[in-house]
Amino acid sequence: MGNHVLVSGLSFGRTVIGIATRPYETYRRIVSRGTMWELAYVGVLVSLYCYISRIRVAPVVLTYLVTVGLFWWIGLFAGAKGRLTGFLIAWGYTLVPTLVWFSTTSLLYVLIPPPRSTRPEGFLFSILYLLFSATLLFWKVILSYLALRFGLRLDLGKISLVSLIVLPILFLYSIALYRMGIFRIPFL
Amino acid sequence: MTDALYQKFVKRWEEVMDLPPQTVGPLTPYYKKLVARLKVMPWPVLVIGSVVLVVGLYLLLGSAITILVSVLQRGF
Repeated sequence: MGNHVLVSGLSFGRTVIGIATRPYETYRRIVSRGTMWELAYVGVLVSLYCYISRIRVAPVVLTYLVTVGLFWWIGLFAGAKGRLTGFLIAWGYTLVPTLVWFSTTSLLYVLIPPPRSTRPEGFLFSILYLLFSATLLFWKVILSYLALRFGLRLDLGKISLVSLIVLPILFLYSIALYRMGIFRIPFL
Repeated sequence: MTDALYQKFVKRWEEVMDLPPQTVGPLTPYYKKLVARLKVMPWPVLVIGSVVLVVGLYLLLGSAITILVSVLQRGF
């Protein structure tokens, strides 16, 4: 048990570096050799962020499960042949850029609270913040693509098709959670 | 080549060739060029993409991008 935790911890650290520096190769490894223990580390990081930011964990977990479930079921209709465990772990790692963005934005909210002005300082901050956000968004898109590519074993065409079906559903789901006041962040 | 090394090579080869290579018709060479830059250390391409996006947003919204940033920061 202790060995599993330690080995998975090391593997998690190595994988986080890998998804930043060699995402393609790392994702292939995650899907074929990843363990559910690694997912626990992602869960701990998400819980820690939620605790610090005073956000409820349950909607985050629900969103993760809904997203994985939707991609999995609609992927099956599109001919997906992956392993659910592999896909769960692969999708879990796509939360890393999300966590980095949310943590940084939370920190910046405390350090430099909005609104931003149109003065040079405010404008410069806005540009840098948008650059940072867009870079992380592109990183997340790549990781999500790789999770679908290796986790569901789909090609680009089918990934686009599945995404075209799933993303509007997730959009409506996010709005519903936001309107119900369950979750204040409609874009996880 | 020793047996162990050969077996390792075969295992790696099977792992790499597990999924058929992605093709996108006549755009395949361009796709391969782009993807090659994203497979290892993708950050330069990601940053360039972000710069293009942010410049586009600035041309579209002008100084109103500060409002967008305020909305994003208030997402909490």
